[in-house]
Amino acid sequence: MSWKFACLVTEAVENTLKPCEIDGISLLVANVGDGFRAYPPVCPHMEEFLEDSGICNEGVLTCDRHLWQWDMKTGEPQGCAEKPLLMYQTKEQDGQVMIFLDQEIEYDFDDD
Amino acid sequence: MQIEVEKKDQRYSFEANKGEKILYAGLRAGIPLPYECATGTCGTCRARVKQGEIQSGWIEAPGAKNLKTEKQEFLMCQATAEEACTVGVPARIKAFRGDDIAPNHQFGVINNLIRRTHDVLSFSVELEEAITFHPGQFFVVKAPDIDGYRAYSMVNYQPKVGSLEFVIKQLPEGGFSNWIFKTSREGEKVELFGPLGQATFHRDESHDLLMVAGGSGIAGLMSILQSAADANYFSTHKAQLFFGVRTWEDAFYVDRLTEMKHQYRDNLEITIVVSDETDKRLPPESLELFSHGYGWVHEVALAAASGQGGDELNNTMFYIAGPKPMVDGCIRALILDAKISPAMIRYDKFS
Repeated sequence: MSWKFACLVTEAVENTLKPCEIDGISLLVANVGDGFRAYPPVCPHMEEFLEDSGICNEGVLTCDRHLWQWDMKTGEPQGCAEKPLLMYQTKEQDGQVMIFLDQEIEYDFDDD
Repeated sequence: MQIEVEKKDQRYSFEANKGEKILYAGLRAGIPLPYECATGTCGTCRARVKQGEIQSGWIEAPGAKNLKTEKQEFLMCQATAEEACTVGVPARIKAFRGDDIAPNHQFGVINNLIRRTHDVLSFSVELEEAITFHPGQFFVVKAPDIDGYRAYSMVNYQPKVGSLEFVIKQLPEGGFSNWIFKTSREGEKVELFGPLGQATFHRDESHDLLMVAGGSGIAGLMSILQSAADANYFSTHKAQLFFGVRTWEDAFYVDRLTEMKHQYRDNLEITIVVSDETDKRLPPESLELFSHGYGWVHEVALAAASGQGGDELNNTMFYIAGPKPMVDGCIRALILDAKISPAMIRYDKFS
């Protein structure tokens, strides 16, 4: 098991992306209302850093580069997006957001 | 050289000439390869070599900063091929609309240089062959002795044109800008490729329009306004234009905008917005037919849009053109504050 501390629950504010780094791996934590999600830090399209390009609005994340969008709870693509947002497993424990970190999730160019 | 492009089950092949940018060769063959700026700044035409070898071209291109060179990634708008090769792209190859116009190479001659403000010129390029384009599109232009292409949106519009009008701002670092500002270039021959770009206007979509321009970003929006006005579009649709400039004296194409405003009155709202905080002067008489605002053009536009409520904006297409920070700020506010769907936003960012 490798559950790791990402950030405090209070640091992950709704409608924002909280950048975290665990063992040299960057990720973004989001409070989606009924829990937390953790995504790789880049857009699956052009690998733009979502900390800068991401717009969170009512449970939908939009990358401002080419306006790809995803459901923040499921990672499912919406609109013109062609690839889902990948996610790490998360849990809440004693006021902390924990991430199950097995290996770094990266988008592959040739993935669907 | 035979180039193959693949994405999952899609496979296209086309012929590239020696020295020809791979992107241009593909687009010219009618293959809707992914791209945005076509000049090395945005990175959208990222691709990966799968077989064969390419020459990557301008490696310091701003759009190349996220490329994984160890995975043989490159920008199709910069690279050329000297042998047959196969490349992969990260997004599906798909046409924007059924009536996309395949771009092509052209030569043209510069004429009609007109100084519009202290740091803005307009010029025309007389083409060897008449062409068609969609309002809102651009061409890339290359001057002799200057490396690389620069993108300029057409200002004029007619269903078929033999001449393209462009706007250029004087930039201290701009190669093409310096080239054209420093010496009169009437009669100089330039290379062009186009038409390009997807921030286009189509009458059959029957939208109302809300347009936001920063400085020379007005160019493509003038083309949209021109084509719409010529078709009497504003007798049945509304348009709002927000034109951001630094001071009142920096506004240009005022005569053309005034004429359109006279013609369409209530259905065409034009607002000139000045960003220079020290410019508290009232607008000059030449701008009195228009509305006026102070601050960042996208904030003024957004405040106006938010005041209109959802229903009125339901059928509105947003066109945003200008420097990247302005366009990004505008998109962000449209999605976050005005709750506009990205499907209703078309943009042209330049840097």
